[in-house]
Amino acid sequence: MPVFDLFNPSEEHAMLRRTVREFVRDQVEPQALVHDQQERFNLPLFRQLASLGLFGITVPLEYGGAGMDAVAAVIVHEELSASDPGFCLAYLAHSMLFVNNFYRNANDEQRRRYLPKVISGDWIGGMCMTEPSAGTDVLGMKTFAVRRGDYYYLNGRKMFITNGALDDTTPGDIFLVYAKTEKGISSFVVESRFPGFSLGQRLHHKTGMRASMTAELVFEDCAVPVENRLGEEGESLLHMMRNLEIERVTIAAMATGIAGRCVEIMTRYASERTAYGQPINSFGQIQRYIADSYAQYMAARTYLYHTASKLDLDRPGQRIDSDGVKLVATTMAKQVADNAMQVLGGYGYFGEYVVERLWRDAKLLEIGGGTLEAHQKNITKDLTRRLDVIR
Amino acid sequence: MKILVTVKRVPDPETTIRVKPDGSGIVTDNIKYVINPFDEIAIEEALRIKEKQGQGEVVLVSIGAKVASEQLRTGLAMGADRAILVLCDQELDSLGVARILAKIVEKEAPDLVLMGKQAIDDDANQAGQMLAALLNWPQATFASKVEFMDNYVQVVREVDGGLETVRFPLPGIITTDLRLNEPRYASLPGIMKARKKEIREIAVAELGIDTTPLLTVHKMDPPAKKAAGKKVESVQELVHLLHTEAKVI
Ligand SMILES: Cc1cc2nc3c(=O)[nH]c(=O)nc-3n(C[C@H](O)[C@H](O)[C@H](O)COP(=O)(O)OP(=O)(O)OC[C@H]3O[C@@H](n4cnc5c(N)ncnc54)[C@H](O)[C@@H]3O)c2cc1C
Repeated sequence: MPVFDLFNPSEEHAMLRRTVREFVRDQVEPQALVHDQQERFNLPLFRQLASLGLFGITVPLEYGGAGMDAVAAVIVHEELSASDPGFCLAYLAHSMLFVNNFYRNANDEQRRRYLPKVISGDWIGGMCMTEPSAGTDVLGMKTFAVRRGDYYYLNGRKMFITNGALDDTTPGDIFLVYAKTEKGISSFVVESRFPGFSLGQRLHHKTGMRASMTAELVFEDCAVPVENRLGEEGESLLHMMRNLEIERVTIAAMATGIAGRCVEIMTRYASERTAYGQPINSFGQIQRYIADSYAQYMAARTYLYHTASKLDLDRPGQRIDSDGVKLVATTMAKQVADNAMQVLGGYGYFGEYVVERLWRDAKLLEIGGGTLEAHQKNITKDLTRRLDVIR
Repeated sequence: MKILVTVKRVPDPETTIRVKPDGSGIVTDNIKYVINPFDEIAIEEALRIKEKQGQGEVVLVSIGAKVASEQLRTGLAMGADRAILVLCDQELDSLGVARILAKIVEKEAPDLVLMGKQAIDDDANQAGQMLAALLNWPQATFASKVEFMDNYVQVVREVDGGLETVRFPLPGIITTDLRLNEPRYASLPGIMKARKKEIREIAVAELGIDTTPLLTVHKMDPPAKKAAGKKVESVQELVHLLHTEAKVI
């Protein structure tokens, strides 16, 4: 009997990984460096992900999705991120923060109205939680929505929104926006063509993830039809918590994608580069970089797939491990990218050798989708209540 | 139209192939396997024909060990309708392969057999031609363009120094060349649908034919190691050396 493969638990998962890996090798890798350098989002390539069926990966077949699970989402993020984390971040924002989040919380009429547009990639979406003066402290958000007749009127600003813009002047097409309402936090589907929506600052000069666009979005009496509210008024803190879990797990997958690639690059380089008449992988200090990186990568990756295979996309309650795996995997990726750069010496400092870009990209993962400190806070809180998870 | 497409499991062209020290074959540990790239082109062409005609059936056939179902599953995920796996652990030569395929053709009665022009593992480039001979069917090898006319198929062939256009009535055999098309990626919905598609297994013994190879591999040698390159200072020097040393211009 074949041995159980944690990273490809079924034949479908293995095929998915193969397909995405081939696509990445042929289409994504060749454009990654230049899009990072020019800080451009590759929209035509992005739309090709739709023809692979990747945008509705966690949406059931009957709604036009692929009907797969969190492990499948992890595989896609890992493979994309091994080549182009910036491009992958745009994928995460569209497919996880918008499509998955929307699907889980929308009613059937809303699903019929919007899913075909976003699963086909005709419309590019994103999610708006963070504000200029409230990030980790999400309940401190100031954006609010007041209902008048058949509309809610939204006022406020959202900050650092991935896919907020597609280029310097075009906003993304559709956003899931969290806002305060009379009864608590609610969420709305906002099309960028709604009156009162505008693109604020286009945020340039990011450290990394430069192939994804980040923008500020402004809502000034933005008129949103009542039928675009997701669930009941005040229900969306639950929606947010539930979706943060898959967001954090897929961000961890981006981290292992980066780290795996870095291990590959440094190992190959160290066997080819010579100094003092021998390959540099004969030096103990280089061996330590390689071996430590590999072992830490595999430890995080194992935790990642373990967490993903238990993740129920329909209900929250797994935050302790969604946060736990993001906590270890992101810092691991940053460290492994740094090890790789060290092994490559001066060459590692240049874009052509790839690790320089991955090194810059890795840092974002410790901030976006929740900071390390937020995870530490959550884990301590959850663990104190649920110490039984240890046994 | 019913199209039979042959699918061989071969080592990934991107893996490093090592020859066993005794020259009896290649080291197969840790090798990744893929669909023979020319067969992948054949699958793509069959799917395009079916899509264009709006009907038909694409049936895949592979010969080999049980693991070859992996490649068949990938072909099904690309969009083929069903698959047949002829289970056979024994080494086969091209004639053995052609004889097995002839039996499958007899059972399935396809209008067209699409095959890779060769498999990239042993590069024999014979199975298609032998199958055509056994069936007494017309064949067009090295296809770079396939078009259906009223009652015949027209194939543009890549031959040394140019293109040759041939026509034949169906049924017949076409083997694919590299430029025929660019195969699609298996899509995620395709992968999920493939799970429910049939892979019928047939033991080679059931076919009642003699597949004892007439040809056996005697010895394998790795290619000679490339000598280190040489850096030149100028184009003039390069041209000079190409002329005097390499003697290529
Ligand atoms: C490239 C990029 C893309 C992004 N994409 C999106 C997106 O698509 N949608 C979206 O909504 N947001 C997005 N974000 C925003 C991101 O989620 C936030 O930046 C993040 O949640 C942190 O919030 P903040 O920047 O306001 O920092 P703050 O919350 O102000 O944090 C500042 C520091 O204080 C610490 N801190 C805060 N509270 C505590 C506490 N209670 N205990 C201990 N330490 C604390 C933090 O950990 C951090 O170190 C993106 C950000 C970036 C950089």
